[in-house]
Amino acid sequence: MTERLAIPNLGNYTVALASAVTSLGIEAWWSTATHARAMELGKAAAPESLCLPFKAHLGHFIEADNAGVENALMVNSVGTCRLRYYRSMIEQILRDMGRPIRIWGLGFDGFKPPLIRHFDPPLIPFLRAVALAIEKIRTIDTLEIHTAATRARERQRGDTSALMDACLSELAALETKKDVQRFHRAIPARYAAIAIDASFTPLRIGLIGEVSVLRDRLLNQNLEQTLGHMGVEIKNFFLLGAELGNIFGIPVGNRKHTRRHLAVVARPWLDCPVGGHALDSVAHTISCARQGFDGMVHVCPSGCMPEISVRPILRKISADLNIPVLQLSFDEHTSPVGVVTRLEAFIDILKERRRRGIRPLSTKQAVVG
Amino acid sequence: MKIGIPRSFYFWLYPGLWETFFQGLGMEPVVSGRSTRRTLEAAVEQTESEHCLPHKLFDGHVQQLAGRVDALFVPRVLSMTAGHICCPRFGALPDATRAGVAGNCPVISIDINETAEPLEKTLIRLGRQLGASRRTAAAAARAALDEYRRREREDVLVQHAPRDARSFLLLGHPYTLRDAFIADPIIGRLTAMGVPVELMTFEEKNLPAGPILWCTFHRMHRRLTAIDLHRHAGVIQITTFNCGCDSMMTERFRRECAHRKVPYMLLMVDEHTGRAGIDTRIEAFVDSLTWKKKAAP
Repeated sequence: MTERLAIPNLGNYTVALASAVTSLGIEAWWSTATHARAMELGKAAAPESLCLPFKAHLGHFIEADNAGVENALMVNSVGTCRLRYYRSMIEQILRDMGRPIRIWGLGFDGFKPPLIRHFDPPLIPFLRAVALAIEKIRTIDTLEIHTAATRARERQRGDTSALMDACLSELAALETKKDVQRFHRAIPARYAAIAIDASFTPLRIGLIGEVSVLRDRLLNQNLEQTLGHMGVEIKNFFLLGAELGNIFGIPVGNRKHTRRHLAVVARPWLDCPVGGHALDSVAHTISCARQGFDGMVHVCPSGCMPEISVRPILRKISADLNIPVLQLSFDEHTSPVGVVTRLEAFIDILKERRRRGIRPLSTKQAVVG
Repeated sequence: MKIGIPRSFYFWLYPGLWETFFQGLGMEPVVSGRSTRRTLEAAVEQTESEHCLPHKLFDGHVQQLAGRVDALFVPRVLSMTAGHICCPRFGALPDATRAGVAGNCPVISIDINETAEPLEKTLIRLGRQLGASRRTAAAAARAALDEYRRREREDVLVQHAPRDARSFLLLGHPYTLRDAFIADPIIGRLTAMGVPVELMTFEEKNLPAGPILWCTFHRMHRRLTAIDLHRHAGVIQITTFNCGCDSMMTERFRRECAHRKVPYMLLMVDEHTGRAGIDTRIEAFVDSLTWKKKAAP
């Protein structure tokens, strides 16, 4: 029997990672959102003051171990955030619990990462699997963008979400790059088939903040769909395709989203990368104000080190550029009802601002300082 | 020119350095008073609700100074030891202060990155930025560094002095161990019980590369692994509410100490910490260790 590998949750992008693993002949164990059951397991086993994504990852791997999965892959970080130590902490906790699952990182300790050495895939299929995963990631970027635009305008609530789910499961089954490319090209037509109210101009809101909460539907209480069904067009600024480019220093997709460009945009308010996606949050808020977005929703796990430390800066930008910013922090006690209430109140404010013709100021009009 | 120095965070990371440096430049440094509950209560009005306790206290100190000085000094401490980093919060600290509690008071800042540039050079650069001549800046930097090193040496002598009985080692960051609001009640209780206390010192300069990148934690970890139980009865780690680095590292220390049978207690201080709760836990910890010693032949 082949060994299995549990993959960390990265929202819908897990589909792409899973297909890369599967095409190497390793059985992947994955889901696109943390299960509520996994969350309970993680909460029980994790130290109290660690952040929500840690508990989600830990619970996910405990569930994998319960299912008899032998290996798991954990994301690494080379940044300043405590995420850097999550893999070794998860490994220790699982070992103390007497669970045999092995947690692999993506780090190097020589020529090949230990994970690759363990499974030792042949080179050509490996490169092909990577190319397939990258193609799928780009396809998912497109799916996310179309979903956000269509969901706010759909006539029948739920049509877009249903199409998105169908597309993802179709995409998961595709095995060659060519098929994925063909699928990618057909996306606009499939979304165009959904009945929409073309006369409706939805509110535009940018979603910024910490990655896991931005992308995991369980952690963010299904924020994207909730907003979409309130008739809001959202722009989620975590797109993995663009992000991979940043990690390897190659501009992929929108050049305006490269780290260097973001640093220039953010400079008057924040002159340091800080860590995590703190700089991105600041820079996107500024550029969304310039582009006339109605508001921003900043999400992070409660106690998130980089995102919390820039919150005062976001409030200042909000005042300087006259763009409303809703700051939500999530922990395991966050209730969906509480989130919906705050979103509804926020949307009411934005609608009223629109009715009165209040717009964000461009940077030139604003007095910085 | 009056320059405000909050008695928090970076003040304790470099004891004595900043007052001496600004005096050397011919400025008038104004250091805020020691932290009290009032410092915190004043800050709570304006500070971010999810900041860690030391950050809230920092904001309280800034508020105290804001109307009274010509400018505030808030450096961006990115790295204090070659190859190591500081808490990510410090990266946003000057900008967050400017955007938040400082109000209309100007904030002077400089990046301190000892991995990239020795501290003396950074200080000279800061002096030049503030309009001093190269010679004045260099002299002020040298005097400041001398004072900083002298104080550090003195502190090491005090903390490492031999005690009559086995002492308790207090672990924490410089800005928690030396903060009057956070650590004084704990140190006071231990002293009142007649228990010798040793505070963690951070004088070790050339840290070898290790698994921990945060310099203060790397030093604490080295100290813990080399601990001599003939000298120390146990370890008390002071942690503060919502400190992200602590949440990760204290768990690791706790596990390692349990594994190596080193008595270890974690004391969390938050905004609502009452004296009684802290006292009870300290007494229980000290008692259990003294009894253990008596029970053993």
